[in-house]
Amino acid sequence: MIQSTKLYMLTFIATSCINTPVHADENLFGYIKGAETLPEGTLEFDQTFTYRADKDIGEYSAWDSKSEIEYGITDRLTAATYLKMQSINTSGIAIDAYIPGAEHYYLKPSGLEAELKYNFLSPAKDDFGLAGIVSLSYDWLDKHSGLDKDQYSIETILAAQKYYLEGQMIWAGSLGMEATYAHRAPLSADRLASLPVDFDWPTHSEMEIELTAGTGITYRFIPNWFIGAEAQYQTEFETEVGTERWSLFAGPTLHYGGQDWWATVTWFQQLKGGGERYSGQTEDLHLVEKTKHELRLKFGIDF
Amino acid sequence: MSKHHFNPYWIIAITALTAPAYAQDYLNTQQAQQVLFPEAETFMPLLVKINEQQRDDIKAISGVRQRWDIQKVWKVVQKGQHIGWFVIDDVVGKHEFITYAIGLSVDGHVVGIEIMSYRETKGDQVRNSDWRNQFKQKTIKDPFKLDQDIPNISGATLSCRNLTDGVKRILALQQVALNHEP
Repeated sequence: MIQSTKLYMLTFIATSCINTPVHADENLFGYIKGAETLPEGTLEFDQTFTYRADKDIGEYSAWDSKSEIEYGITDRLTAATYLKMQSINTSGIAIDAYIPGAEHYYLKPSGLEAELKYNFLSPAKDDFGLAGIVSLSYDWLDKHSGLDKDQYSIETILAAQKYYLEGQMIWAGSLGMEATYAHRAPLSADRLASLPVDFDWPTHSEMEIELTAGTGITYRFIPNWFIGAEAQYQTEFETEVGTERWSLFAGPTLHYGGQDWWATVTWFQQLKGGGERYSGQTEDLHLVEKTKHELRLKFGIDF
Repeated sequence: MSKHHFNPYWIIAITALTAPAYAQDYLNTQQAQQVLFPEAETFMPLLVKINEQQRDDIKAISGVRQRWDIQKVWKVVQKGQHIGWFVIDDVVGKHEFITYAIGLSVDGHVVGIEIMSYRETKGDQVRNSDWRNQFKQKTIKDPFKLDQDIPNISGATLSCRNLTDGVKRILALQQVALNHEP
């Protein structure tokens, strides 16, 4: 895992040093989406790495990677496709229906996503920015256990953005709903043998709805550099049990916007969480699917 | 507990180290003065201090906040006649301030604007004369609205808006603070 981490950072540094005369559109926040779209005919590459770690007991850490190509179909409509990858390193923890023991692998493809974003109002031109986002995704690896799981999702997001102090301070907020149909692969005989006899691993199809609300504010404190904070509340509803779990993450965010590229880093700490807890969990947080903290790094380059 | 304890600060440090500094200056003060008032013989510098009441008046007239307490202004003279004002102003761009010069006639018309420093990733089309010429002859009575009387440049909307607002604010400043200058 440490080798894989070094690889990520070397890739980032190498990319950062490329001094070609390209331009970039920007994500000012790690998690909260803004309302702006790419200009017509513009192509952009974005890369996101998210590090998730600590489920209270045992060892759990994972990297999620999203590589994105975005294209401005019109000034108001942007299309994007994503390749998702993940790595995982977990041991000493078992959670019914979520984590059936140890798993360890380096980065490998885990899913695909397609997205459309339409800008209804421009934050600079109309004073208040508003965009609608719809995305479809297919994942074949489960981000929690790292094992095979087919998941089909549709997500809709309403993203708002407002400039203050002539644009020196920027607020963004978003509301989203994601519906997922999922089907786990059965566990291997070897893995089943290593688990308690009453370990639960449902393989019937599931339907889940997740609601997300987020907000963030950032301030340009010196040229090119923004510092801010963002927060995100998520709650999940499952077909059989109703509200399953909820979580509130928040943390600082730092953004650099340059002539050639931009980068954003956000530290996200789970402040509160509730709902179902797993056996042996000591902290009152949502740690079945989430971790205690996340670190997200994004950078973008346009062509 | 996870064995991998990540400190986010090392990523911030790497980002800071790899962030390039850049600046693009196109015109100095003297060059901008010559472009906007080629016929002028004298530019008399003034440091116009804006008091609270004047700031309120500028906001009331233009709808735009007067950010600066002091505005750099030159009185433009030709053959002993006061023919206009030359003003240097800064407005917020997406990443850095945009520095521009504006020429005003004595009766409150825009003579022209010149971009002196533009450091943004997109939208350097604001430097094109076709876009800047949209401001010529405008007065404080004009709307100064993007896509209404001033065209927007996609990808540089914030720069376009703040430059447009800036010109309107300087026209208001002329009414409030310059027309009473001897």
